[in-house]
Amino acid sequence: MGRVGTWEAWQPDPRNPKQEVAMLVDVSECIGCKACEVACKHWNQNEARIEGFTGSYQSHSNLDAKTWTLIKFTEYEDPESGDIRWLFQKHNCMHCTEAGCVTACPTNALQYGDYGVVTLDQDACIGCAYCEQACPFDAIHVDRTAWDQKAQKAGKCTLCYDRISNGLQPACVKTCPTDCIKYGDRQALIEWGRKRVEELKARGFKNANLYGEHELGGLHELYVLTEPPEVYGLPVNPRVDWKVKAWKYAVQPIGKAVMGAALFGMAINWLAARRAFASAGARAGQGDSGHEGE
Amino acid sequence: MAREAWIRKFTGRQIFVHWLFGISWLVLALTGALFLWRPDPHGTVTGLGVYLQGSVGQTLRTVHRVAAVGLMLAPLLYIVLEPRGFFRDLKELVTITRNDLRFFVTGPVFYTTGKGHVPPQGRYNGGHKLNYWIVILTWIGFVVSGTVMWLLRGAVSVQTFRLMLLIHSLSFFVGVPMALIHLYLTLLHPFTRQALSAVISGYVKLSYARMEHRQWVEEELARGTAELREAPPGAGAA
Ligand code: SF4
Ligand code: SF4
Repeated sequence: MGRVGTWEAWQPDPRNPKQEVAMLVDVSECIGCKACEVACKHWNQNEARIEGFTGSYQSHSNLDAKTWTLIKFTEYEDPESGDIRWLFQKHNCMHCTEAGCVTACPTNALQYGDYGVVTLDQDACIGCAYCEQACPFDAIHVDRTAWDQKAQKAGKCTLCYDRISNGLQPACVKTCPTDCIKYGDRQALIEWGRKRVEELKARGFKNANLYGEHELGGLHELYVLTEPPEVYGLPVNPRVDWKVKAWKYAVQPIGKAVMGAALFGMAINWLAARRAFASAGARAGQGDSGHEGE
Repeated sequence: MAREAWIRKFTGRQIFVHWLFGISWLVLALTGALFLWRPDPHGTVTGLGVYLQGSVGQTLRTVHRVAAVGLMLAPLLYIVLEPRGFFRDLKELVTITRNDLRFFVTGPVFYTTGKGHVPPQGRYNGGHKLNYWIVILTWIGFVVSGTVMWLLRGAVSVQTFRLMLLIHSLSFFVGVPMALIHLYLTLLHPFTRQALSAVISGYVKLSYARMEHRQWVEEELARGTAELREAPPGAGAA
């Protein structure tokens, strides 16, 4: 569908942080050139991490603490026509409205920020990796080793918050040669995506679909996919794990209340016992005159 | 007035194991609990977040792991250093008597009002047994879940990891109220704090032991196995 000229100059309203921005990746237009990966590394000053060639067109096996966006590559055989297709999915943090990582983070280093962006304050991060294990998309990571880092910290896509809050486009969007990554007002992108899906269907991609509109309360990374999401390894109907929710919303508040009750009980006991044993203590000190056995 | 007699409750090795466990536990609880008072991004309470910036949180995480080794080792050391004590404790723990249960009715009344009395108790009273059991169960919870989160991230499924997260937290909130009561009774409570000497010198006042552990004292005296001495701990051999 080519360039969407008006979006290149688009910027969110700086007076309205509630406005939701999003990126939309039209995978049908992605050529797998990985310019976005490079632009992301460059802008965010993440060192290159070179992995050995494994026979795949994919550059890295997975995202890591210093690799925040990755073109996932799937060689897919259409079950009906037998055609082989190369599928590319730009994988990174989806900036969920209901995020597993934010729920799990014990230090609140992860938060829901302006414009629908999920922000990570690396200063507050302790590297516990609870977020890594709670994310339904495997999109945030803490490295196992900290050889080249002073401290282990989580890392993920920031949606270039530092750029977009200054009226710029995210680095990957700016660099994409086919303009398949679009950035703009979330609602406008959803409408564009719906139309694009219809268009692809008319052209024979009958499985075309828009991903991210409703998942986890709405993602801020949307996809126009030509195949069903599971073909790309995207979760169908993702959820924040009940265990993570129970940890945060049941165990912690109930536990704190029980702790408080115990402290309160002890304070009462102390006040009463101090008086009661002022005389009894003296008695006890005199020897064997305490309780009688039964 | 006759000199006060003292009876031996714990050996030096038991005292060592107790403090290795206790201090590790406290360090772990404090370094873990700090994060419960994190800043609320949408509230006015700032919590402790400001003190945990940069590498502080990371350093505390390392301290947490060092203390975790102490916690894991303490019970194993107990088995190695003092197998008889360990198995005798286990035997006591699985024998729950009527008086242990009655302790939970009369004990709270007595410890609050000084009225009534606790039924004759063994070396460990009902409260000690409850504490011991909670310590054992939460130790298993902490060690299993902590080891998985520390060393097996990525090797186990995310489902398993998330379950461990829940277990670690549950162990904490079950263990902490018990630990607070334990600390309160032995450090602050006007009557039961007399028991503290048992984990310092190994001895408690005979008069106190008679009240709190009558059954045990009588048995030791009858069997002639009671180790008595006539000076308060710290005053050297009588
Ligand atoms: S995709 Fe993962 S890391 Fe990104 S906001 Fe959602 S849960 Fe968090
Ligand atoms: S690794 Fe950092 S961001 Fe992730 S949950 Fe732990 S403290 Fe939060």
